[in-house]
Amino acid sequence: MSKTLRIRTLVFAILTILVTFLIAENLFVKVQSARLRKEPKFYAATIVFLKAGESVVKISSQGGWYLVKTAGGIKGWLHSSAVQRKKVDLVTMDKSLKAKASAEEVALASKGFNEQVEKEYKARNKDISFAWVDKMLAIKVTPEQLRKFLQEGKLAEFGGGP
Amino acid sequence: MMAGLILFSVSCATLEKGLDAVSAVDSSDVEDAVKITQAVRKSFAEITEGEEYYIGRAVAALVLSRYPVYNNTSLTTYINKVGQAVAIHSDRPEIYAGYHFLVLDTDEVNALSAPGGFIFITKGLLKRCRNEEMLANILSHEVGHVAAKHGLQSIKKSRLVDAFKVMGETAARRYAPEEVAELTNLFEQALGDIVEKLIERGYDRKYEYEADKLGVKGAATTGYDPSGMAAFLQTMVDDSAGQEGKGWFKTHPSAKDRLGKVTKQISSIKPVPSEQNVRTGRFQQAMKSVK
Repeated sequence: MSKTLRIRTLVFAILTILVTFLIAENLFVKVQSARLRKEPKFYAATIVFLKAGESVVKISSQGGWYLVKTAGGIKGWLHSSAVQRKKVDLVTMDKSLKAKASAEEVALASKGFNEQVEKEYKARNKDISFAWVDKMLAIKVTPEQLRKFLQEGKLAEFGGGP
Repeated sequence: MMAGLILFSVSCATLEKGLDAVSAVDSSDVEDAVKITQAVRKSFAEITEGEEYYIGRAVAALVLSRYPVYNNTSLTTYINKVGQAVAIHSDRPEIYAGYHFLVLDTDEVNALSAPGGFIFITKGLLKRCRNEEMLANILSHEVGHVAAKHGLQSIKKSRLVDAFKVMGETAARRYAPEEVAELTNLFEQALGDIVEKLIERGYDRKYEYEADKLGVKGAATTGYDPSGMAAFLQTMVDDSAGQEGKGWFKTHPSAKDRLGKVTKQISSIKPVPSEQNVRTGRFQQAMKSVK
């Protein structure tokens, strides 16, 4: 095989792999912590928590939910509002290198108004307390509590009918 | 193999450049990948989930600097359960750190929602509710404001453009001190824009109409009787003389206009969920401790 042909073959192989990667729909968690659930319901049991920026591969979709597989091979359901699609950039032919995956972009999601800015804001406004803001965030309704509340109240799929 | 190459139709020069690019990747290039080149952002729609959360935190802190908290654990837990029930049926069920609800200790009839899902309801408004349906419809309205990013849309466009310019085309992980200072100035001004709408002037009528529409839709989808919203607005119509210019009464359009639209929307919902005694019972139980 000539040198030119070997080079072309190698690049073709690389491009094929990249295109294949493009076709597989990768999704990225865009919320702080997303529950990967056993079923496509908000009160379903949690399999694992995924962090902002983590990538998953979409397997199928159902009514606003995605069945996905994590990098570790765990399958479960994520709601579509917890994830975003990102184009995977091919390595550019330019001198600058674009991010090869957008996990970094998502991880930098709060690159604008972020913890650093909040810290400066607090330093300038010592009379503004964030104590109750943090207490608010600590108030949680577990999936089981939610299921029980909906069921007892005859709401959602537990509805008592019109 | 040759057929595959033909399918891609790439030139020899491009292939060789590609190979060069691939082979040139090393650890320093991976480091550089963290500095991501992207176009400067231009609108509120491009504020990220995380940024919305930090804006919301500060707006919430400002709300809490004006109103004390009604610290009643069992009531707060109940309000959060109703709130979560309607939030999961909204157009944006999952947001950065989730939706959270708190009761403010004032007799003013008001509900406030900060970006990022920090939602407040006053004791005064709670006392006006006769059942869980009315409460759920109101919370669904507030969730609607968050889902549709009305708070973020209150930030003056020029302010946002300036902030996005500072954030620049290349996003590094941390800002230099002078960049932090400038961003914080813009952050404070953006908060001012939001708080002015949220607390002082009220949202524009288009946002109130939209939140009413989303609220009724969300409540009905959850299984609540949407006439709970109409019933609450009716109390505002009946009492507008007493509460003019404050809280929920400050908003334009008038409660009467809103009631007209909401009633029309409810008539188009089929089937309409109905109020359930079990929900009224637990509402009354939760409200027993409210003084």
